[in-house]
Amino acid sequence: MSSFQFEYNQEAVKNLKIEDTSILDRLVDYRHARDVRHKKDHSQRDKRMSLSEAVSEFVQDGDILGYTGFGYVRTSLQSDWEIIRQGKKGLQSIGSPNTCQSYGVTFGNTPYTHASYAGAEMRGYDKYFSENIKSGAVKILSDWSHGLMGLGFKAAQLGLPGVFAKSGLGSDLVNYNPYLKVINNPMVKNGDPCVFVPALCPDITFIHVHAADMYGNARFYGPAVNDLALAGATRKLVITAEEIVSNTDIRWNNKGVQIPFQNVDAVVELPYGAVPGYMPGCYYWARRWWEKTFAMMSEGQEAMEKHVREWILDTKDTREVLKKLGGIDFMINQKRLAKAAEADNEDSGVEFKYEPWTPNTPPDVFD
Amino acid sequence: MAESKPMNPLEMLAYVLSRQINDHEVVYIGTGLPMVAGILAKKTHAPNITFVYESGGQDPIEGGMPWSVGGPETYRKSPMILEMPYSFGQAAMGLVDTGFLGFAQLDMYGNANTTMIGGEFTNPKVRLTGSGGNNDVASLCEKIVFVGIQSPQKFVSKVDFITSAGHLTGGNARQESGLLGQGPVAVVTTAGVYDFEPDTKRMRIKTLHPGVSPELAQLASGFELVRPEGEIPVTEIPNEEILELLRNEVDPQGFFISMPGA
Repeated sequence: MSSFQFEYNQEAVKNLKIEDTSILDRLVDYRHARDVRHKKDHSQRDKRMSLSEAVSEFVQDGDILGYTGFGYVRTSLQSDWEIIRQGKKGLQSIGSPNTCQSYGVTFGNTPYTHASYAGAEMRGYDKYFSENIKSGAVKILSDWSHGLMGLGFKAAQLGLPGVFAKSGLGSDLVNYNPYLKVINNPMVKNGDPCVFVPALCPDITFIHVHAADMYGNARFYGPAVNDLALAGATRKLVITAEEIVSNTDIRWNNKGVQIPFQNVDAVVELPYGAVPGYMPGCYYWARRWWEKTFAMMSEGQEAMEKHVREWILDTKDTREVLKKLGGIDFMINQKRLAKAAEADNEDSGVEFKYEPWTPNTPPDVFD
Repeated sequence: MAESKPMNPLEMLAYVLSRQINDHEVVYIGTGLPMVAGILAKKTHAPNITFVYESGGQDPIEGGMPWSVGGPETYRKSPMILEMPYSFGQAAMGLVDTGFLGFAQLDMYGNANTTMIGGEFTNPKVRLTGSGGNNDVASLCEKIVFVGIQSPQKFVSKVDFITSAGHLTGGNARQESGLLGQGPVAVVTTAGVYDFEPDTKRMRIKTLHPGVSPELAQLASGFELVRPEGEIPVTEIPNEEILELLRNEVDPQGFFISMPGA
């Protein structure tokens, strides 16, 4: 274990009303994280297991859970749902964006968050987050910008204690983030204020990729967002993959292999693991599912309990979720939309127009 | 047919914002109305601009309107796709010319709030989205342009939370704080276009939309707007061709440019 004593931004600790700062320690304890990674079995071995096994073994109550992809683009949402299904408690969510943190608040799985962006862009505003902050159902432990949080993960990936950044200066982020301080660039005599961003090490992270071999070498394309950094920063890493390929295939078709096996603890074969989100080249968002979900967030706790129960607690696995979203038709249509959107397939004649979700939308329409 | 309908305020906003985009620049543009303006600009006077996105997408070929700054339209046949730290790094190290941002609240020095409304962080009146990439864009890009609906609730004397630093307390405050770039250079609203006084860095009227007097613009602001010397020019309005483009090609479903209830 680390012998560090951490120096927090006291003004921020006061403003955030954090009584015991020890809850903040593990995120920045990069020495402890190094210890954890060092002690792992570094051999090339078969790490395949089911999603429920991976979640059961690698997610502990109280863990800091890193969100990957871009909120709902190549995000391992089905892993997140399995974590909720298994009733993991006391988790801290961290991610840029942090679009999905609200599901975990409904039944108390993620009562803490390191905030950066809540909401689903043009598909919905997260009013539930606002209400949860007021009721105390969720507590913000630190407030970030995407860039600053990304730099924290990047520092951890590179094995650095931290980096000097230029974001955040002059803003209130440095007054509401116990991890950030303004300090002078040591190389400049006459003043070059910077924000020092410490290395950020989540406990557990699930990254969804296109293909992985049994050792964990992982291949993906599309926006990497913070996944390259998180794959290095996290203490425990589970790769969920659309397909498991051979080690030979990973070596011969290595364009896009961006996560090395050493970082990986478990490999899960999880086709459609990013639903109801978008998977580059594979399937388009379930647009109306997102619109409905954020409408339920606006309605509050009762609506969210019903919604989370229906979609997460009462579904057994990804296949059941896929059937609920529309099964075969959904799979075929969303693949068509995704490939046309990326100009991989002919897009003339592919219709993206749709009627946004309203309470009058038929109850089984989510695409 | 759509083109016979008169122009609405959102279409005006999209057009006026598009005129703030200079050709050949590399620009950071978020989803929604700013993206409508960006696509319109690329189809009209600024065909050589490059779009970059915080998720990593860079320089996509033309396609549909992006719904998400991480969605396929942002990396459609991109020559390469970056990662978030490198994307913001490009802005920091001088390769992004202009960032376009929205705001829930904006003060006279171009400091913006997208975090919360209210006096108490742990018990806000409303928690908004949070910074997302806004703070980074505002801190790192060379120039910033704000866009939004103008009202006394949004143009405030003091924002409830500085999410994105503009000119801070005015004068040289931004330079002294260590921030990069020039900061905000323009604000486009439903009332007019504003710039910032060179010395004080206070928001100043540049043009006002047809029918908007300085008094009306002032009524829609919670702080004193600096008036320029001489006659205030009237903002150029979009012609038929532009409206047609907006309605038929840029946002045919009218998600961002049709008025609610219209």
